Amino acid sequence: MVQNWTKSHPGWTMFGAMLGLLFFLWILAIPLAAAPAPIGPAAQQFSDGARITVLLTLISGSAGIFLGVACGLGKLSRFLLLRLLCDFYVWIIRGTPLLLQILFVWLALPTIMPAGIDLSDFACAAIALSLNVGAYNTECVRAGILAVPHGQIEAAKALGLSPLQTFIDITLPQSMRVALPALANNLASLVKDSSLAYAISVVELTMVGYRVQAESYQPIPVFLTIATIYLILTTAFTTLTAALETKLDVGSKR
Amino acid sequence: MRTEDKTTPIIIARDVEKRFGSFYALRGVSADFFEGQVTAIVGPSGSGKSTFLRTLNRLESHDAGKITIDGIELCDNLQHLEAIRREVGMVFQNFNLFSHLTILRNISLAPIRVRKIKREDAEAKAMALLERVGLKNQAHKYPVQLSGGQQQRVAIARALAMDPKILLFDEPTSALDPEMVNEVLTVMRELAHTGITMLVVTHEMGFAREVADRVIFFDEGLILEDTTPNAFFGNPDHERAQAFLSQVRHGF
Repeated sequence: MVQNWTKSHPGWTMFGAMLGLLFFLWILAIPLAAAPAPIGPAAQQFSDGARITVLLTLISGSAGIFLGVACGLGKLSRFLLLRLLCDFYVWIIRGTPLLLQILFVWLALPTIMPAGIDLSDFACAAIALSLNVGAYNTECVRAGILAVPHGQIEAAKALGLSPLQTFIDITLPQSMRVALPALANNLASLVKDSSLAYAISVVELTMVGYRVQAESYQPIPVFLTIATIYLILTTAFTTLTAALETKLDVGSKR
Repeated sequence: MRTEDKTTPIIIARDVEKRFGSFYALRGVSADFFEGQVTAIVGPSGSGKSTFLRTLNRLESHDAGKITIDGIELCDNLQHLEAIRREVGMVFQNFNLFSHLTILRNISLAPIRVRKIKREDAEAKAMALLERVGLKNQAHKYPVQLSGGQQQRVAIARALAMDPKILLFDEPTSALDPEMVNEVLTVMRELAHTGITMLVVTHEMGFAREVADRVIFFDEGLILEDTTPNAFFGNPDHERAQAFLSQVRHGF
């Protein structure tokens, strides 16, 4: 039963594997504690920082995919207002620095939000990163949807499939096949972009490194450790998205 | 609504018009089609024959006139449209198989989603249809692994899986290499004898002459001839039809 499921849902299997690998990185403190000073004593800090980075990436990565699909569809909508809205969103986000967006959400949003809603620093970072990666994903998803041959949509219509069924069974899987390499690219960038959250005092991996080297006056081992953890994280993401790509690539011409 | 009365046409088209911008693709087409009838629709390219076929399952909406299929009027009403699309299958020039799905899934998808048939039953039926078109051993391949002729036979099986009363063929052999045309025509020939209503837009004059009960000749958005194959190929009334026939006969 389980084997059957993994065979018929390779995409979801890879997604599960990715989560597993990230979980493994999440318990990083154990191997790091064995390292000499200044790394060993700060192992728990590094591990917590990595955990925040991974969490930030996963949350804004997933939200960014939903935003990307929603706005990618919005950009292709029949309704002019919706198209303009999505164009405007992408235009704003791509045209301004990510750091400014993070600061805006952190400093400006609370002043215009209704009283009583209190956003944590982490939530602010997650919102800003989601909006950012969502805008870049929008363009990838739009390109992916446009790449689905129109004849297949007509065939689905002629068979009596509803627009929603056509989208879920035909358009979405094929557009993802095209969009995935670019989406994976955005996700790898996101792992590193999450470091900008340090500017609004989110204690993620880069912030931890900055603090530990400030206490120990040993920037070289500290930053090398941080860099290595980032490399492992991005490698994990890209390896698994590449596998996902291969799995989704069934029946395509190449 | 439904009737078994053979004298009531299954498709009634009255004064159907279709414009693309300022270009009139259809200028008032009227025709009745009866259950079990095999009609070949021929004519020069751009004459509106494909457009007419595509209005019958609303891949193109008509601008004026009235189309009734199996007693249901084709209009903007979504329930009507759903009911009609369930009864009308279509085979396209470029096959349009779903490239990310296996052959088996291509055929069983619509029965599962639209007719809500159980997966096992839909797949069993798909296998039976694949056997009928001679492709039983290709069930687990993807469309790209098949030749054009094989893909078109799968597309026919996919349309048949919905048990349509009417099958529309839009130039089903025009995108095929010459040596693959016959395998598709063979399947269509067999279908014609099963009593399903077929409308075939085609350039295969041999097929039209041999298999069709009726030939319709389109020119500039109008039906110029609507007659039997023998009358059409033997002695067409209109000059345009005579000119068209002499053109397509060229080289035989």
